[in-house]
Amino acid sequence: MSTVRFKLNTQAVSVSCAPDRRLLDILREDFGLIAAKPGCGVGRCGACMVWIDDLPANACLVMAFRLEGRSVRTYEDVAADAASAPVRDAIARCGALQCGYCTPGLAMTLTHLHQQTPRPDREQAASLLSGNLCRCTGYGGIQRSIEQLFPATPPLSADNSGDSQ
Amino acid sequence: MNQRPHLVIEHRELLARATPRPDAAAKLAATPFPSDRQHPQALHGAILGSPHPHARILAIDTGAARALPGVHAVLTAADVPGQGSYGLRHIDRPVLCADKVRCVGDPVAIVAADTPAQAQAALAAIRVDYEVLATVDDPVCALAEDAAPVHAGGNLLHAMTHDRGDLAAAEAACAHVVEAEYRSPRQMHAYLETEGGIVEHDGNGGLIVCFGCQNPERDRQVLAAILGLHPDTVRVVGTPIGGSYGGKDELTIQPLAALLALHTGRPVRLHLSRSESVDLGVKRHPMQIRLRTGCDAAGRLRFMVADILADTGAYATHGPEVLDAAVEHVSGPYQYDAVSLRGRLAYTNNGIAGAFRGFGAVQVQFALERQMDVLAARAGLDPLAFRALNLAAPDAPGPLGQQVLPFDGPARALDVLRTHPLWTAPRSHTDGRYHYGTGLALVHRSDGFGKGGPNTARIVLGLAADGKIELRTGFTEMGQNLVGAIHALAASALGCAEDDVRPVIGDTAHTPDSGPTAASRATAVLHRAMQQASTDWKQRITVAGARLLGVAADSLVPAAGGLRDHHGTLCISYPALAAALAPAARPLLTLVIAAEETPSDVPAAHYVFGASAAIARVRVDAWTGQTRVEHIALLAALGPVVSAQGFLGQMEGGALMGQGMATIEDLPTHSGRYQARNLDAYFIPTLADAPAMEIIAVENLPDDDPVGPRGAGEISVNVTAPAIANAIAAATGFAVRSLPVKPDDILDYLENTP
Repeated sequence: MSTVRFKLNTQAVSVSCAPDRRLLDILREDFGLIAAKPGCGVGRCGACMVWIDDLPANACLVMAFRLEGRSVRTYEDVAADAASAPVRDAIARCGALQCGYCTPGLAMTLTHLHQQTPRPDREQAASLLSGNLCRCTGYGGIQRSIEQLFPATPPLSADNSGDSQ
Repeated sequence: MNQRPHLVIEHRELLARATPRPDAAAKLAATPFPSDRQHPQALHGAILGSPHPHARILAIDTGAARALPGVHAVLTAADVPGQGSYGLRHIDRPVLCADKVRCVGDPVAIVAADTPAQAQAALAAIRVDYEVLATVDDPVCALAEDAAPVHAGGNLLHAMTHDRGDLAAAEAACAHVVEAEYRSPRQMHAYLETEGGIVEHDGNGGLIVCFGCQNPERDRQVLAAILGLHPDTVRVVGTPIGGSYGGKDELTIQPLAALLALHTGRPVRLHLSRSESVDLGVKRHPMQIRLRTGCDAAGRLRFMVADILADTGAYATHGPEVLDAAVEHVSGPYQYDAVSLRGRLAYTNNGIAGAFRGFGAVQVQFALERQMDVLAARAGLDPLAFRALNLAAPDAPGPLGQQVLPFDGPARALDVLRTHPLWTAPRSHTDGRYHYGTGLALVHRSDGFGKGGPNTARIVLGLAADGKIELRTGFTEMGQNLVGAIHALAASALGCAEDDVRPVIGDTAHTPDSGPTAASRATAVLHRAMQQASTDWKQRITVAGARLLGVAADSLVPAAGGLRDHHGTLCISYPALAAALAPAARPLLTLVIAAEETPSDVPAAHYVFGASAAIARVRVDAWTGQTRVEHIALLAALGPVVSAQGFLGQMEGGALMGQGMATIEDLPTHSGRYQARNLDAYFIPTLADAPAMEIIAVENLPDDDPVGPRGAGEISVNVTAPAIANAIAAATGFAVRSLPVKPDDILDYLENTP
C-alpha cells in the first residue's frame, strides 16, 4: 500500500492503494466516475481515455504510482466544459454514436485534438483517432464529425512528399 | 424490368434527413450502462472457468475458499435450486458444470466476496479434480463414428435438407458447372461493453437483474426457472447495451450473478474481463460450404448442390436456427430447375458459437456470390447481368419452396447499381505495386424468425399521467436507434409530434413481451404495431377529449401537442387531457402483433425478405498482400426508411463488420483453445481501415405490401463480405475461397502465377 496525491478533475485527492493498481479501477471503484469504460484492459480500444496533464491516455494502462503530482481529467469534467461543446454537438449531429459505449473515450480524444493550436487537419485527426475503436458506426458518423471539426486536408504537394503539413 | 420508377434516396439526402438520435444527449452525458451500475453494499462476483476444453469433473473442493476472509458464497452446480441447464431449442447448457466441462471457461464454481481481490483469491483456493478427455476440435472429426461425444447422444446437433426438382436433368442441361469448397471464419462480436451488470434485491423477496440483453421477458422466465422462483419475483432490466450484434441474445452470466445474490442476500456485481468474455461469449459459426452450381450455354442457372458443415462448439444456443438460415439462404434470390441443399451442425469443444449479425446467411452468401462471379465469367457474362438474368420472379416461391411475400428488391437493387460510376468504370487494373479491383454482391435476407419461431409481439400504447404518449415494448436499445424509431413511428401513426412520445423499453416491470430484439425485426414489428394502432388510438383519444370538452369527436384531430380543431387550433393539450381524465379513463391499447409467417407447412422457413446489393472497390498491395477497401457503395432495398440516422448507422456499421470478416477477422482455435483473447490479438477495423461509403436506399415495395419496412440490422454485413471477396478476386485473379483473405495467400498466388 502507498499513498498517491494527484488532482482529479481539478480537485486535490489522495488514494491509498497498491502502487500497481490501475487508474481505471481507481476512477470507477473509488470515485464512481464511470465515463471511462473498461473495453479491453490493454490500451487497445480507447474506451477508457482520460487526460493526464492534458494529454490523452488509456486509464487502463496507468498505474497508481505514476499519478503522484499529476492532473487527471475525466470525461465527466471535460463534458461539462464548454470547450468540448463543438465535439459533443458534432458527435450527436453526425451520428458518431450508436451504442454509446465508446463515446466518452472518443470525445476525449476528439476534444483534445480540437483544442490544439494549430488544429490538426482531417487526415491527421483521423489517424490519431485510430486508437479509439468503435464497433457500431463503421466510423461513418465519426468521419463526418471530423469533417466538421477539422480543416480540410491540404492537397499533397507536387513532389508527393506527403509530409508538407 | 420494373414498371414503376425506383424511389431512390441518395446518400446525400439520407444525411440531410438524419436527425440526431433522441438518446444522443444522454449518451453524451455518460449515462451508466448496466455494467457501470454500482451499489454500496454490492459484493463482487467471480467465475471459476474450466482450464480444459473437455474434461470430466471428478471432485470439487470449495472448503478452503469458503474459509477465506471476505468471502460470502462459493457455489457449485449443487447450489442451483431450480433448472440446472438452459438453452433455446436445446436445453443443453449447464448453469454450472456438474459432471463435465465442454469448453475452456465453462463455469464450474462461482464466488461472491467483499472485494475483487478477495474473490480472485477464493477462486484460486477452489480445487477441482479433472479427468481430461479427448478434445473434439474439428467439426469433420466430430462427426466421425469414433469421435468422443461432446454430449450424450452424439455430436450431430442438427441437420437440414431441402431437395427440389430433377437434379440429373438439370445438370445435363448445363454448359458450365463450377464446384468449390469455401470456408468462413469464426468471428468475434467485439462489443465494447463486455458482459456485466448487477443483481439487486427489491426488498420484497424478489430480484432485479440489470444486464444488457436482447429479450428481457425470455430472460426473466429462464432465470426464474433456474432460481426456482416465480417469474413475478424476477425483474429484468436489459437496456441500454454497450453493443451486442447478436452476442447478448441469450443469457450468459446473469444466472451466475443471480444465484450469488440469492444465496448471499446481497446485491452482486459481475463484470467479465475481455478475456473471460471471449471464453464465455458466443462467436460467429465457422462454416465449410461445398457448392456445385451449373448454368446452361445462355447463362441460365439450372441447379445447385450445397453441403454446409457448421461448428457450433460446446452448446447449441442459436446453432440450429443459424444452420437453418444457412440452408435457406445458400441458393440466394436466384431461380434453379433443381436444388439439393444439405446442412449439418456439429458439437465440438471449440468454445460456443451462436447468434451473430448475419446469422448463418452471411457465411453462405460469401460462398454463393463467389460462385456466381465464377459462373458468370465461365458463361461470358457481366457479373451484374448474370445475376439479373437469373433472378427468381418477385412472386416465385421462396428458397425452401415456401410461399413468400412478393418482393422485387433484388431486381431494383441491381437496376439502380447498374449505372453506378463504380460499376461502369474499369473493374480491374494494375498500377505498379497495386492491384485494383471492383466486386459486386447481391443478397436477399429474411426478416424475423422462421416459421415456428418467436415471431409474435405485444406492444402497449398509453396516455401517461403527465400527458406523454407512452409506447411500451420489451425491445432493447443496443445502438440501433430503437428510441428514434419509436418516436418517428408513433408520431407518424398517431398524429402527434415526436416530442409527445415517450418510449419505455426493455424492463419487465414496465414492458410487455415483445419477443427478441433480434433477426432484424424490432423496427418492422413496431411499424406494424403502429399501423394497427393508428385508427383505434385516434378514435379513443378524440372521444376522450370530446367528452371532456363537450364537442363532437369528429371536430378534433390528434396533432402535435394535443387535440386540435380542423383549423389547427389547439383545443386541449395531451398533458391537460391526461390530468383531467381518471387513470382508468386514459386511452390504453395493448397490441398483439401476429407472426408474419409463411402459410406453407415448411418449418423454419421465412415469409418476408429484404434485399441489398453492394459494389466494393479494393486496392491489393502486391508487396505485402494487404487489402485496402477504398470504396463501398451499398444499396439497401428495404422499403420506407423509418429513421435515417438509424438506417445509416446500421448500413455503415454492418458494412465495416462485413469488411472485417472479409479482410482481417478470424478467431482460430488450436486444440479447443482460442488463439486470441483480447483486442490486441484479434483485430477489428479502425478508423484508418474505414473506406469511403455511399449508402443508397430504394424505398419501393410491391403494391399492397402488407408488411412495410424490412429490417436493416443485418443485411449490410451480409452484402459487403461477399462484395469485397469478389473485389479482391477481380483485382488479383486469386480465387478467393476462404475468409478472411490472408495476405500470405495473396502473395503466394501473385508470386506463383505467371
